[in-house]
Amino acid sequence: MKEKWNFILYLVWFAYLILSAVLMFGHGFLLSRKTLSDVTECVPIDNFGCDGHENSTVKGYCNEEEKIRRIVAVPGGPLACVPKQSKVVFLLVDALRYDFTEYDESIVKPLPYQNRLPVMREMLDRWPDRTRLYRFMADPPTTTLQRVKALATGSLPTFIDASSNFAAMELQEDNIIDQVTKNGGRAVLLGDDTWSRLLPKRWLRSHAMYSFHTWDLDTVDNEVDAKIYDELRKDDWNLLVAHYLGVDHAGHRYGPNHPEMTRKLDETNARLKKVISMLPPDVLLFVVGDHGMTENDSHEWTNSNGDHGGESKAERTAAFFAYRGAGLAGTGVDVMIGKEVQQTDLAPTISAALGRPPPAPSLGHLLLPVLPEASKSHTLLHITNNLKQITQYMIRYGEESQQVSLDRLTHLINATREQLHKAASVETDDDLNNYAADVRALVDNVRTVFREVWVEFDSLSMLRALLLLLLAIFFNWLITEGIPMERLPNVFASTFVPTGLVSMAVCIGVCYTAFYFKFLEDLEHAIILSTGLISASITCVLIIMHWDGIAQRWYEGRSQFYERFARAALAASAAVLVSNSYIIEEGSTLAFLCMTVLGLMAWNIGNATALLYWIACGVAFAATRSYRGCREEQGDCWTAGAGVPTGQSSRPALVLGMGTVAAVVAICRRHVGWRGYCTVVAGLLACSHWATGYGSLGSPSRAKLLARGAWLVLAVMLALLWKREGRGATLPLMAGGLMLFVANTLVLGVSYAPAAVLALVLACLALNLVARLKSEGSTKFSLATRCNSSVACMWALLASYAFYGTGHHATLGHVRWAPAFHAGDPNYLDIGPPITASLVSLELFGTILAFGAAVPLLALWGQNGAARVGPRTQLAAVFSLCLKFMLCFAIRVFACAISATIHCRHLMIWGVFTPKLLFEAGACAAALLGTVFGATLVAWHLPTQHRSS
Amino acid sequence: MFSLQNQLELRKVTISSLITCIYLPSIITVISYKGILYSVGNGSSCFVLALIFVAELLKSFYLNSSSDAQAKKNKANKNIAGDILRGFVFLLCVKFTFFVGIILFGAPVLDCHEETLMLSLLLTLLTVFPLLLHTGVESSLQLLFGIRNYGKNTVIEMLVNNALLTVCGAWVGAVVIPLDWNTPWQKWPIPCYLGAVGGFLLSNVLTVLKVTLMSSAQKYPILNIFVQILNGFQVSKQ
Repeated sequence: MKEKWNFILYLVWFAYLILSAVLMFGHGFLLSRKTLSDVTECVPIDNFGCDGHENSTVKGYCNEEEKIRRIVAVPGGPLACVPKQSKVVFLLVDALRYDFTEYDESIVKPLPYQNRLPVMREMLDRWPDRTRLYRFMADPPTTTLQRVKALATGSLPTFIDASSNFAAMELQEDNIIDQVTKNGGRAVLLGDDTWSRLLPKRWLRSHAMYSFHTWDLDTVDNEVDAKIYDELRKDDWNLLVAHYLGVDHAGHRYGPNHPEMTRKLDETNARLKKVISMLPPDVLLFVVGDHGMTENDSHEWTNSNGDHGGESKAERTAAFFAYRGAGLAGTGVDVMIGKEVQQTDLAPTISAALGRPPPAPSLGHLLLPVLPEASKSHTLLHITNNLKQITQYMIRYGEESQQVSLDRLTHLINATREQLHKAASVETDDDLNNYAADVRALVDNVRTVFREVWVEFDSLSMLRALLLLLLAIFFNWLITEGIPMERLPNVFASTFVPTGLVSMAVCIGVCYTAFYFKFLEDLEHAIILSTGLISASITCVLIIMHWDGIAQRWYEGRSQFYERFARAALAASAAVLVSNSYIIEEGSTLAFLCMTVLGLMAWNIGNATALLYWIACGVAFAATRSYRGCREEQGDCWTAGAGVPTGQSSRPALVLGMGTVAAVVAICRRHVGWRGYCTVVAGLLACSHWATGYGSLGSPSRAKLLARGAWLVLAVMLALLWKREGRGATLPLMAGGLMLFVANTLVLGVSYAPAAVLALVLACLALNLVARLKSEGSTKFSLATRCNSSVACMWALLASYAFYGTGHHATLGHVRWAPAFHAGDPNYLDIGPPITASLVSLELFGTILAFGAAVPLLALWGQNGAARVGPRTQLAAVFSLCLKFMLCFAIRVFACAISATIHCRHLMIWGVFTPKLLFEAGACAAALLGTVFGATLVAWHLPTQHRSS
Repeated sequence: MFSLQNQLELRKVTISSLITCIYLPSIITVISYKGILYSVGNGSSCFVLALIFVAELLKSFYLNSSSDAQAKKNKANKNIAGDILRGFVFLLCVKFTFFVGIILFGAPVLDCHEETLMLSLLLTLLTVFPLLLHTGVESSLQLLFGIRNYGKNTVIEMLVNNALLTVCGAWVGAVVIPLDWNTPWQKWPIPCYLGAVGGFLLSNVLTVLKVTLMSSAQKYPILNIFVQILNGFQVSKQ
């Protein structure tokens, strides 16, 4: 049986192909950014000596003007606080597009959103020196969360802002609110709770409201209105943030061309009028849209005739309106209405208005025309502060990350330093204006360099990865669906697998040599591409060589209705991943599909037992619903508090969890032979871990010790799995499944342990249903029925459902971090990070892993299982089923990748599609790993054949 | 597959299907003009079900009217009241089965019972009720559990086909529920309700179409291709 290990090697090979392609796709698609926890500090002017150095020993008196000039003349010195401060009212009108604010009397029949904000035009006409109106250009992603981050930090947030602490949503970077509060200033928040979730505990008063009811246009706005005028009268704040949501929600619900939009914009107009009339003359008012909206709302099928030069442009162009009763600075081109300014510029501008240096990660320059008129030296100080902060950020980012090439970074840093040296030579107003323009150009340059890395996708590697995935899936589908089962052992006994592996090794060698001699830039990319292509061509040759067999099998083959339906259900479950609503509701969708597939299987069996099994499956599905929870987008359920579960479990949950796990362990141990004792010990340790750690009376240290004991027993169990007995592979497989189950319940914790039990029950019921399936014609065991792709599809659907059934959702906010610490804090160990990562991924994908490990059981289980036939056929059956199961997950990942590519400028790309891609990739990896584990177990335990078959 | 042998049965099947094709769309049109199409899930729109009940009852009288002498003889020596009672209990059981099945497929467990109940009532009325009226309790039970084969009986074949397509329609209707369009017709159970009605209607339309095509295929054999295609839609198998 020399083909035994070739089967396993081929599975590993396939897993490598899929995972490497997914990795390559991720490299192109997942834009990431490193967040630094640095904070910009500034030194009060009084602490500087007259020579411009901090704490200088030079005594003497000099006026402020002179001192500032000296400070500016020292390019390497610390940032100095600008003494002048003003208060800022920051009104964020969500999705205020620029053309909403335009006013054109010549339009005869204005669209619902046109000419609705006449107050802005009125102000611009009456007091041109007090008012500014600009186009406010947002960077993608134009979702509110990322925009609020951008406005607060002045940076370009990406989907993954890699920081030291993944768990919290809290903003880890320096931002304007922190800058205000650090100086003893106070900030008040009204409206959208995104702010309070990003920046908790920083507010003097905070009236934040839930913001995900996209169908509710008024609640948040009315609440803000009720508070804002009182707040404006009060005098104890420096920064007032008010976030109105009505316009955005009207856009989501009805689109811009709707009377509701007219109503919301009219309300905004009245509000602005009132705010401006109440505003003291020295307070700055910024009215800002965080992003625009598309012209057509796709859901409502409204036909609008407004043409606004491309969808993405309409989404990116927001409005920026500034007003100050006592006048603003700036002249000439700078104050032109409709000039384009970047959103990154707002954070440094607001902090300058408040007398603070720009936040550390900001990549914007000051918008001098919206700041109060200031003396030349103060302006110069602002500009040099800005330059110093950006230089500092570039140096720190270069230290922490290699995303931007060192050459370019050095070049930019030198340029900013040069610019800082020039500051001392600024004398006249013209000099200052020129200097400001130079700095602006330089900062724009810096921003462009970072934007390239953070905002733009690498479409070439995305497309190549999709191609590789497609090739791998297509040829392997032909192999598993086409090549007749009888031929499989001969194929794998031949030199096919060794040839493939050797050619891959050659590829890697060639790539590495080319990299060594500097012919290649990107080694990883080249290796993945070349190995993927060479594997595709080798499998293609195999297909061509066996084309006669494939053609014959397809000609003869006739599948039953339930088989076709199961395949269609899997294809459908992958295809609907293109729609955001189905991704949000995927748990219910998968349950629905699973129930139908199982129902058709039961119908095929057609007896009362099968019906009972099916009903039991339905009950189990219904029971898992209470563990499913919900995500933010499922408004009603989310606000009802059923979202992210609380840490502490109730007493009934404890009893239920312990009871079910103990029951499962007690029942199952009889069926797995002597290995059952290990299971019992591990299960008992897990239960006592929960009981000891429960509540305030529990002892955490003892609980942790017990958990470690349970892990030790599990490790022993894993080792004992490999003891050969010569009694076939079924028993070790079941023991392996049970081991994974206990490990899973350990990380899931007591409140979710019953969900894992339900998944196990579902798996058992499905196994029994499969074992009873009627084979075509004869009652004899038929390989074709048991190793049918429909069985694998059903199993893959069940496994995918188990992810939701154990209380997970495909959002980053739903990742639970407690499991990493249930057996003590791994950060004290040298190997801490990998332990944390593996525990958390086991918690997320543990059930999928167990389902993967149990795939061979589908072929071997039961009275008429494959365990009766010869080992060669048995192994071929198991291999074929494993490959089909892996293919199912590969297809789902492929669908996710495709939908991410299609929707890469979609509104929900960062909220829905990308997390789904991440979690599906994780699920796929777990399934592949589990299947390889199961198949290896089978290959190890199969008796070596003596007689030739 | 209908056979052309029994012209009388074929005509009955066609006419009863035609009646369905007329009365069911009329009911739907009227209630949608009244503006109560989206309240079919409430108990207040029970009268729709009552209308369907009456219509199916009348149709079954027509369908059963054939072998007068035989049937009358059979009826005469049977306890009619007992029959009705047994049929009623049977329908209740079937309704409960549908109710549980719908919940197992994902309907809310603890709330929306009224809506689920209305849907299961509709399904019962469209699937099992005509079968029960035509064959009686015992035979319909046997048919349901696949003990008896309906052989060449065109009427029963049509009824079983109707029932299967109705259930399929309700299944397909569930597809639109998760979409976030927030339209009034996405509320549970309206898509499934309308899907079931649509499936039933489709089945009847197909029956009429097929009988027409088959009779004209005698003249123009080329039409047999379409008959073959329509046979593909036949869900029920013998």
